[in-house]
Amino acid sequence: MGAYGANGDTGEGAGAPGQVAMVFDLNKCMGCQTCSVACKVLWTREEGEDHQWWMSVNTQPGLGTPKGWEEMGGGWLDGQPVPGHQPGRAEFGGGWDFNYQEVFYGGTGSSTHLRPIDHGDGNTGWGMNWDEDQGGGEYPNSYYFYLPRLCNHCTHPVCVTACPSGAMYKRHEDGVVLRDESACQGARFCMEACPYKKIYFNYARNVAQHCIMCFPRLEVEVAPACARQCPGRLVFVGSADDDESPIHKLVHQWEVALPLHPEFGTGPNIFYVPPLSPSRLHEDLSIDEETPRIPPEYLESLFGPKVHAALDTMRRELARVRAGGQSELLDTLIVYHWSDLFGRYTTDPATLDRSPGRVPVRFGRSPGTPTTG
Amino acid sequence: MGSLTAPEVGEEALDPDAGAWDSIPSEGVPLVPVPIEAQLNAYVRAAWTGRDYGRSGPVELALARCGGRLLARLSWDGSAVPPGEFTDAAGLLLPREPGTASPVTMGTHAEPVSLWQWRDRLASQQGLPSAKYLVSTGPGVFRPVPAGGEVSARSSRAGARWSVVLAGPAEALATGSVGVAVWDGANAERAGIGAVCATWVEVTP
Repeated sequence: MGAYGANGDTGEGAGAPGQVAMVFDLNKCMGCQTCSVACKVLWTREEGEDHQWWMSVNTQPGLGTPKGWEEMGGGWLDGQPVPGHQPGRAEFGGGWDFNYQEVFYGGTGSSTHLRPIDHGDGNTGWGMNWDEDQGGGEYPNSYYFYLPRLCNHCTHPVCVTACPSGAMYKRHEDGVVLRDESACQGARFCMEACPYKKIYFNYARNVAQHCIMCFPRLEVEVAPACARQCPGRLVFVGSADDDESPIHKLVHQWEVALPLHPEFGTGPNIFYVPPLSPSRLHEDLSIDEETPRIPPEYLESLFGPKVHAALDTMRRELARVRAGGQSELLDTLIVYHWSDLFGRYTTDPATLDRSPGRVPVRFGRSPGTPTTG
Repeated sequence: MGSLTAPEVGEEALDPDAGAWDSIPSEGVPLVPVPIEAQLNAYVRAAWTGRDYGRSGPVELALARCGGRLLARLSWDGSAVPPGEFTDAAGLLLPREPGTASPVTMGTHAEPVSLWQWRDRLASQQGLPSAKYLVSTGPGVFRPVPAGGEVSARSSRAGARWSVVLAGPAEALATGSVGVAVWDGANAERAGIGAVCATWVEVTP
């Protein structure tokens, strides 16, 4: 058996010129959840999707969503899949029903508080942003930052390998990882195998579901909803293989955009510009100019050892500009024109033909797409 | 293992607790774990090697015909543990070609088998059908039959013992043999991780 899968699922779409990638600049993320809501209202409003947040933003350090996901296993090690834990309903939490009837019509509205109803599945003890702004460190050196997360549409998608029914596949033309829900048997090995735990289970329909990178939008050159709706202009979309794209420059040229948990071995195609932070304070509240507030070792635990060089590059470019110089890197990250974020995906969705009967997307596998089984 | 007959019965036999089943001969079918080395999926092999599974069975199996349908009544001791993420399930395996090798791998790519699969449903899944007509080409490699295969199921439970009647098109029995499989939901058994009969059960015309 070769590396990366026994079924011939090597993620052949990866490495193709069309692999779509995204870069999130964490220095600009303010945790507003506009990306989360943009995704939610577009894709997960059907039955069984209440608790699903294909795009979500968590505060770091934190346990995140699902609760404690970083310790749940999965991914690849030495070319072999790593067994993982399948997060359950309680670990995702959220998707609550509230006691509206009791509060509004039960005659006890002045003494009854609005609260989630416990249906016995434990989902009221956690949620998609449960530990918001708790962060880490001790005053006056407490710190936190926001981490938007979605499916990484990995180069070596272990979820595809883990799917016994062949429902999951990686599109050849753009590397987006998708699922044929009509073939999904609800086995949920994909959820176990995904080390990022960004696959949800629709209990009502007995199928797993995850971010589809807004592929119907990509097909008509509209940026994914999470990226287009971001008010902070921090989400870049494009091909990492296009030498002229900001994605390529951030990932390959300047090497300031890094994958999350590269040690998981799946080759994520979502990258992050790690957060800079102010200096620590000494006990007497004088400034320790040499030590950043966010511990570099913590950032290394998230983004790998290359994070130090990335931060050094950022600091060097900042110093250059502060000294009156120019920095193409900083100009790129500032994003003077929002359309610079999206490469060719700048079509205004309001201009699309939405006439009745029109089928605007190619749904399903393209010829040559590798399958399992 | 002996052979079964499939006598003609009335519609009441769709109920697994119907008295009609009392007079129909049944066969105790022993089950074995689907071999870990037969799993086609690298992740499943990595996750389940060394773990205990496939201990369900035997299954008491009886067959009948009702109009153009084949009825299969499966009865076995399920898990006493309430369902968690996964629920109990059972299936009737039907070779699609004569001479199909052992059912222990749930078919192969070269020798696909039909799988009529029943699954217990959680309270939140009551809108889902309780049975599927699938084609299996290996452990857990199940795909829906594109068209023309309607399978239904009714189930009852007495203590930990399940009784399930699966009903589907009688022509699926054309090869004259059947097999069974059971998945213990409390042990997170699903797809190719389960218990299956090692040999086909012959059905006398």
